[in-house]
Amino acid sequence: MSEILAIQGLRKSFGGIVVADDVTLSIGSREILGLIGPNGAGKTSLFNLISGVVLPDAGTIYLQGAPIDGLPLYRRARAGIARTWQNVRLFETMTVMENLLVAPREYGGESVLRILFGGAAVRREQEALRERGSAILSRMGLAATADTLVTDLPFGQQKLIGLARALMNDGPCLLLDEPMAGVEGGVYETIKAIVREEAASGRAVCVIEHNISFIKDLCTRAAFMANGRIMQTGTVVELLSSELFIELYFGT
Amino acid sequence: MQYVYSLLVLIGIYVTLSASFNLIIGNGGLISIAHPIFFALGAYTAALLGIHFNVPVLVSIVAGMLVALGSSFALSLPSLRISGDYLLIISIGFQLGFLQVIKNIDFTGGAGGLGNIPSVLSGETRDIVFASGSLLMALGVVLLIRWIVRSPYGRAITAMRDDELAFVTLGRNAMKIKLVIFALGSGFAGLAGGVYAYYFLYLSPDQFEILQSATILTMVVVGGMGSTLGPVVGGVLLLALPQAITFLQLPPNVMGPLQGVIYTLLVLIFLFVRPQGLISAARRQT
Repeated sequence: MSEILAIQGLRKSFGGIVVADDVTLSIGSREILGLIGPNGAGKTSLFNLISGVVLPDAGTIYLQGAPIDGLPLYRRARAGIARTWQNVRLFETMTVMENLLVAPREYGGESVLRILFGGAAVRREQEALRERGSAILSRMGLAATADTLVTDLPFGQQKLIGLARALMNDGPCLLLDEPMAGVEGGVYETIKAIVREEAASGRAVCVIEHNISFIKDLCTRAAFMANGRIMQTGTVVELLSSELFIELYFGT
Repeated sequence: MQYVYSLLVLIGIYVTLSASFNLIIGNGGLISIAHPIFFALGAYTAALLGIHFNVPVLVSIVAGMLVALGSSFALSLPSLRISGDYLLIISIGFQLGFLQVIKNIDFTGGAGGLGNIPSVLSGETRDIVFASGSLLMALGVVLLIRWIVRSPYGRAITAMRDDELAFVTLGRNAMKIKLVIFALGSGFAGLAGGVYAYYFLYLSPDQFEILQSATILTMVVVGGMGSTLGPVVGGVLLLALPQAITFLQLPPNVMGPLQGVIYTLLVLIFLFVRPQGLISAARRQT
């Protein structure tokens, strides 16, 4: 199992609030790491630090062995870090397909000159992206929604579109922020299957989730966070039975 | 007839101004009030090149456009690096400051204005050429903007406006897109400035006051922010309306104030009754 993402000694505080306290963690290819912990433990902050939304006070993040700390936000996604958001954050005035089309690592539509003079090359590229988008939607059983405005979809499906958009980035690292929150039934099973397939294809997946059965079903390993610190890592079974976890999570 | 021609020239100029401003504010979501100053930069550059260096008209106008386009970075680079909100604040300074410079140096004719702009063509030919040229410019700019907005680039602009953080974390360079659309919009305003200078042959700093930006904004809001045809409708309507009112034969004590408040009134009415403008922005379709 080759190491995809490695975090070393990451620290970040906002004023007096420490959201990352000497966090060291690594995720390998084909691995699904569950990140669990009470609200305010620093899980989403850790995602923000990795994806570059927030800059750390200290520490280093490596993607496939190369440090990515110096990279601006948008370059980290291009380097191969894909993420989803707790509150989905879709582009609300756009259709499902359009949400997907702006999401690949390299998007030729980002240069006015290319659009003006690119001609057939731009069209072919857009066509290829559209096919990739359709393929991802089909995997989720949402092919029929391609031309629907995202806000016209029920929340569960919007959540899937959020995941689909992240999958347009075919990079090695996938960060999922509470993919199961507000989701039930068929969508739940779909997300589980997709996450499994993505990991099997060689990606490193990190999932923040409060749904313990999801973590149990899916994760190969889990890390337990509290107060910005990784308290414990291990197999899911080990972690769930640890006293520290029960105490901090359920407050008993 | 002269009157109709000059109205047509103005329509072309204002449609260009409002369409380009719409690209910046309506599509890009970038709030600036400095649009008149790019209009001025184009006008003064084109005029001065003609007066002092005998540069041919078309070349001067294009040069004016490029100067406006280039100087937009002086405003957008420093402010957008911090945050989009600073653009508005810095644009106020840019607008007021630049106009003070124009008013106070001899080279631009100072507060008295800049005359002696070389006239090309004469008689009715001149009017016809300028009226059709100005309308063609407007048509070209509107079509180009429409094409950009409907292209994959426009998709990126829309996504950026909808949720910038999500957009950037997908790997998109929002800063670059903002700089480019601001530069394009400003360049088009400069182009309109050059046409203005060579048709009216006289530039006064008053014509580029901060109030102009209210006029242009009104055209965008009334026409429909973010829609490509909106600024066209808004521009034509708001130029024709004050003219139409003069035919109503209202008493002067009503007419004066009415023409003064008509834009303000329209903005208020539209914001309450039809905030999307006359033509609402199309939903993006794939």
